[in-house]
Amino acid sequence: MDPSNEVVALVGVGILLTALFLQSESFIDPLIRGVALQSLLLGVLLGWLAWTERSPDIAILAGLTVVVRAIVIPYVLRRQIRAFRWRSREVHAANRVTGHALAAVAAAIVAWFVFQQTLASVFPQPGAALPFVLLVQGLLMLATRSNTLVQVIGYLEEENAIVYAGALLAAAFPLFVEIVVFLDVLGVVLVGVILSIQRDVTGTPEEAALEELAG
Amino acid sequence: MIAADGSTGIFVVLLAPLGATVLSLVPYPGVSRTATRIGALVALGAALVLLATGASGRWGSYLGLDALSDVFLVMVTAIFATSAWYSERYLRGVHRPFLTPQVYYALLGAFAFAMIATLVVTDLGLMWIGIEGTTVASALLVVLERKPTSVEAAWRYTLIASAGLTIALFALLLVYATTGTLDAFALAANRPAVSLPIEMAVALALVGYGTKVGLFPMHTWLPDAHSEAPSPVSALFSGVLLPTALYAFLRVYAILPTPAPGLITDLLVAFGLGTALVGAFLLQRQRSFKRLLAYSSMEVMGIAVVGVALGGVALYGALLLLFAHAFAKSSAFYCAGNVLRAKGTTRIDKIRDLRHGLPRTSAAWLLSAFAVTGAPPFGTFLGELLIVVGAIAAGWYWVALLLVLAILVAFLGVNSQIGRMVFRTAAPEAGATPVGADEGTGIAFLNLAVALAVGVASLPYLSGALRAAAALLGGASP
Repeated sequence: MDPSNEVVALVGVGILLTALFLQSESFIDPLIRGVALQSLLLGVLLGWLAWTERSPDIAILAGLTVVVRAIVIPYVLRRQIRAFRWRSREVHAANRVTGHALAAVAAAIVAWFVFQQTLASVFPQPGAALPFVLLVQGLLMLATRSNTLVQVIGYLEEENAIVYAGALLAAAFPLFVEIVVFLDVLGVVLVGVILSIQRDVTGTPEEAALEELAG
Repeated sequence: MIAADGSTGIFVVLLAPLGATVLSLVPYPGVSRTATRIGALVALGAALVLLATGASGRWGSYLGLDALSDVFLVMVTAIFATSAWYSERYLRGVHRPFLTPQVYYALLGAFAFAMIATLVVTDLGLMWIGIEGTTVASALLVVLERKPTSVEAAWRYTLIASAGLTIALFALLLVYATTGTLDAFALAANRPAVSLPIEMAVALALVGYGTKVGLFPMHTWLPDAHSEAPSPVSALFSGVLLPTALYAFLRVYAILPTPAPGLITDLLVAFGLGTALVGAFLLQRQRSFKRLLAYSSMEVMGIAVVGVALGGVALYGALLLLFAHAFAKSSAFYCAGNVLRAKGTTRIDKIRDLRHGLPRTSAAWLLSAFAVTGAPPFGTFLGELLIVVGAIAAGWYWVALLLVLAILVAFLGVNSQIGRMVFRTAAPEAGATPVGADEGTGIAFLNLAVALAVGVASLPYLSGALRAAAALLGGASP
């Protein structure tokens, strides 16, 4: 295998491993560290792609990924935990960890299989299925977790998947840098604004019975 | 004067809400309200001229119009204008609002701008940015009334809609990787050969944009956000945000040949029918009248998606249904706002005898309930009838049967619940209705008149534009 492709595939597998780790963790601090590590690995991968393809756009994406999703958002999330101890772990999560981990492995296998059956002919690059698998992992996290901070981590994972896919599969995608900046803005809005409103207005939302929203 | 080719009109319709947004931030009493109203009216005027002149073509690399965008522009700008008008009345009744009037109107303008921008760009990537922009602009509007349930609803809305849109973005990556362009007009003119990646892209776009349309099973944000948002914003959500998200999907769908591949048609029918049936049955057990209206919107969007799938006259019916529903549902939400302000609750079982306390609101609410559930002679009836006829003509008898079931169940559910609130006799200890609570129904009646007019007459310019829009997507006129 071409050494360049080997780097892309190896770091890609590392990113997938962080995704599987995130699914099986219920304490928030390791989850934040995990998604920061995933973003850092993705930043390294994008940096490598930017170097080999001489692409300034991918270099900007690498910088954004490291600064926003490996440093800034994880920092804000960890401050939330320090300020509010009740946010340090998902409520009633201990019994569900095994189920989450098994579901994550099953979803990864299914996503890989679907990609190989439908899209592998168009995207022959090594590790081309990994962004799709990562996207499914992010969706799974959003769908199966009820804790607000864990959902933010699921959202970050999805954004990582999209950046990964854009750089690996469609590097010339127009306006991609602008789209990623937009997603980052939304991420900051999610974390910064809504979390602070939630804290001010509802106190401890995960424990509150939101009776009116039933049905 | 707006040039007949639309070159001026497209800029006016785009810049008017943007200008209103900027002016709304001026910290001087009344400026935000006036700027938003004027901006909305200017945008509506420009959209009407664009529709009347049949504006189509491209301006620069990224801006363009055709009959489909002309029709949707009129819907969005009209409901933006009526919501801007109704907002003042609604805001007066909000105690301890989370947003100042300046920020509220600025976000309202930004929300409308994002929808309008989605409709006037030709690039699928920019359309995606427009749809995501609607989430950013509108999420904080949901929190206006500072309730814990509002915050939870805003959170669910932002997160679920964004998750869906990430899938839609992945679909666009596939379109670009397969065709080398994201120009929606160019792709529709030179449709690529059907291949597995293209079908996969359209299927992912259906799931992605379908989340924002409120399709089952990705609909869970919809009843929360629609019911917790202030009524003028709920009117924009139900009336035009869901159709704008469907518009973005239609632009991806339009790259497929006509008729679409069987797999995609089957997917659309399954999602549409499932949504219509789930919406119709879930609205039966709602305790909040705003959630009732939200599930009704879900049912209508499901029926419209089936119309798109079936093509032919059903596709024309789907566009007519979306147009009439936008006006009817916004009318229903304005009435719901009046009732909420007068009674202080959205609980259906707590509200009785509205006809005496709020006679004008009751009349408008009953009529709008009929209109949103497809009662003749409203435009929604004609739209739903054409979709059912289209299903029968195409030999999809079981689809026609299930559509009729969903329509009947929703009709009975919505009208019986609203009828109970209007006609059920009040308990002797019931409090008096606040003075002035029955004002502001003129906007509701105006929108109802439009929903009625498209059902009983072939409106000049609109009918032609609807026919041309249906033809663009491979549909046929009745």
